[in-house]
Amino acid sequence: MTTYAAIQNSLTGNNALPLRPENQVMDLERLGSFHQSRLSFMRTLVRRVFKERWKISPSLFELDNNGFGTVVYTVEAANATFSFVIFSDYLSDDERNDRVIATKWDLTMALVEGNVDAQYIEKLRQNVPKQEAGRVDSRVFVLSRANRSARNFNYVIDNLSQGKQPDINKIANVGYLYRTTAVYGSGKLGMADWEKVQAKHTDFARPFAGEMFVCMMLRNFSLLQVEHIAKMRSPNTFIPLDYDIKRYIGIGNSTGLGMAPYLVNHPQLISRWVEMRELALARVRTLGAIDQRIIEQLLALLARCLAHTQETITEDEWQTKKNVKIISDLQKLIAFSHAGIDSWNRLITYSEQHCSLQGQEMLVSVMLEIYPELVDELEDFHCTDELLDLDPLMPANTLKQIIEQRYNWALNIDFDAPGAKETYWYRSEEKMEPRLGSVSDIEGKKKQMALGVGYAVRKCYDQLCQYVNEHPTETTARFLVTFPKVRGIVRRIQCMNKCTYGDIQANLLDQHVLPMHLLRCKLAFFGVSKFDPRSKLWVRNTMFQGAPLLEDIGNTFSDNWFMPLTPKR
Amino acid sequence: MNISMNELKAALRRCFEASGYFVGNYEDAANMVLWLEKHGLNGLGELKNTLPYVGEDLHKSLSNVIYEDSTSATIDAHGRSALNCIASAVDLAHAKALESGIATVTVHNCHNRMFVLKALTDRGRSGISAAAYWKNGSSPITEHAAAIKSGHRYPSYSEATIKTNEHSIDDKQALTIICSSRVDLSLSLQNQDSTMISPAQVERNKNDCVEHGITIADDIWQEINRIGAGVLVENTDRSRQDAGGT
Repeated sequence: MTTYAAIQNSLTGNNALPLRPENQVMDLERLGSFHQSRLSFMRTLVRRVFKERWKISPSLFELDNNGFGTVVYTVEAANATFSFVIFSDYLSDDERNDRVIATKWDLTMALVEGNVDAQYIEKLRQNVPKQEAGRVDSRVFVLSRANRSARNFNYVIDNLSQGKQPDINKIANVGYLYRTTAVYGSGKLGMADWEKVQAKHTDFARPFAGEMFVCMMLRNFSLLQVEHIAKMRSPNTFIPLDYDIKRYIGIGNSTGLGMAPYLVNHPQLISRWVEMRELALARVRTLGAIDQRIIEQLLALLARCLAHTQETITEDEWQTKKNVKIISDLQKLIAFSHAGIDSWNRLITYSEQHCSLQGQEMLVSVMLEIYPELVDELEDFHCTDELLDLDPLMPANTLKQIIEQRYNWALNIDFDAPGAKETYWYRSEEKMEPRLGSVSDIEGKKKQMALGVGYAVRKCYDQLCQYVNEHPTETTARFLVTFPKVRGIVRRIQCMNKCTYGDIQANLLDQHVLPMHLLRCKLAFFGVSKFDPRSKLWVRNTMFQGAPLLEDIGNTFSDNWFMPLTPKR
Repeated sequence: MNISMNELKAALRRCFEASGYFVGNYEDAANMVLWLEKHGLNGLGELKNTLPYVGEDLHKSLSNVIYEDSTSATIDAHGRSALNCIASAVDLAHAKALESGIATVTVHNCHNRMFVLKALTDRGRSGISAAAYWKNGSSPITEHAAAIKSGHRYPSYSEATIKTNEHSIDDKQALTIICSSRVDLSLSLQNQDSTMISPAQVERNKNDCVEHGITIADDIWQEINRIGAGVLVENTDRSRQDAGGT
């Protein structure tokens, strides 16, 4: 078992492992090329649930024949008991909307500390189905909602009730029965703050662990519900879903721009996640022994990734081209590896010379998959204190040098070039939904969110150069008394300088910025697959596809659901 | 109603951003209010007094240093709220203390000085002992002292009502900040009628807030959100397309 100090020594100093450089990793397009890995939050959650043998079962099951009603699961985790409460309500097809601005959903749900009694369930019943329009208390720490898949839900029920298994190809086209459209935590709508969850609920004290757990439970409920409805419809002909089909059914997810500001507003946390991923890669490159068994494993995983990508269906032209390229990349990597490899560095170098960014990052995920003994312990180090403290004593001249070293990417951007400041990010009065506008909208521009980190650095640097020329020995504190408007960016620069990987390197104000990269980056850390962009601003994807089922808890556990494949019939 | 700390912080950020606070300052201001409330020191009560004037700082001069030597400085805040200027004054005291061992920064013409406690506490966490003293009001006049030791997480806070004849008109709206990297500062008011909240009590207040969240009066919550709505853009069909369409 490693320690925080050992990890820090691996990241910096004389004993540091050879990490990929910041300018390479933090490039936005590369971040947007990341894929799920065994350090993704869904994987780490499932490992925890199965290794600790959590007991999860319905303690209240009040669904009518159509699947409407209330279900409560009692969750006996390693350290405490929790309740997962689901409300299933009728929703007409024309009311079904995946956008944040929707007001009704098929399912709404909450994760609550402790056991819940009838009175508390009723209190939840009055609020959880309203989502943003309702209020909950600090016993609740995750809130979510989901809509049925129009293509799969009734189809599966029809088949099961008639004694038939659904066609696996139809399942493969979509991959889920429900699509969650928002998963809220961290104190939204009166819920417990992350500070409480982290301190009190050890079982969920990792980033987004509660949120991922709710999605995992939603997936399991969806399987329970379709079987229940089918059975009620036709008890004599009903058959349950085959196990392998169940495992292949995941949860759909729609993610929009709301996720993008999170990455900019939590730079230390994102840097931490990247550090763990890169440290895992550096461990594999340095310590990962290669023998024939490892090569066979590598080839099998590359082939699995190839098949997974071939099975990924999207109507989006941009994503389709990316997938075609990944398939080509994987074929090259397989051919290269077949010839035999004796060094991971050689394979990485080959990928950097011959593969797209997505292909290169797919290889990284594969390499991590091969060495759980080098990788998995890093899952305990994804948290970090997000304190943006100013260092007031830092000489202003040192601050200037830090900008020149760590933010050279920002200084290299020509912000006077046409289109360099064309985009702005704003919050709509409609549920404060983040949106992306053009500066031609003058009124909206005045209200833009402060997400242009690169531009802010540039403006700060220009003022700092002038100040340092006039006051070469002054401190940052004194600089900020004179220039208080740059306090925010100075604090950020100083703090991110302490991180191995720093800020995301992109001009988010550029007219050609692709927010999709931001969404994809965070979703990859979550562990989703099957990216299906619906525009350049939102993307559908699949969660927990291939993951073991609740009914598997307590049995032997194989953490083998990386890049899930369609079951062979 | 009951809200979470995160909800309060997010709403306050919008509120101060809409009021013209700079990036960095509106986060500081939100954190200052939240810190007081979270630690049982009436942050929302202080804020209620502040909200009617919160937009006025936009039209005031920026704070400036009117005197400075190696161990002290005097800053004129030009009638600004502490929410919008005090963090940089504490930073300056911190920097001077690191250079000289102990330093004093006096801020003149500064309102809402109670909010300095968050900035002081941050110094304690980063290994600097810090203290502040100020007087407030006219009838009655109150005096206030807060201090935190180096390496500690929670400050002490004392408050007392003083006799009118003890009050000098010259120190109205003034705040004295002392920072030291070598001496642990511990202020306690000499006034026999003072009330003191210990660091241990401050910690208990925080733990209670983390467990249960924050109770806020509807009128304050609505006012914070009304002001904060100034950063939101009107919803239109075109605007909906800016979110990616349906």
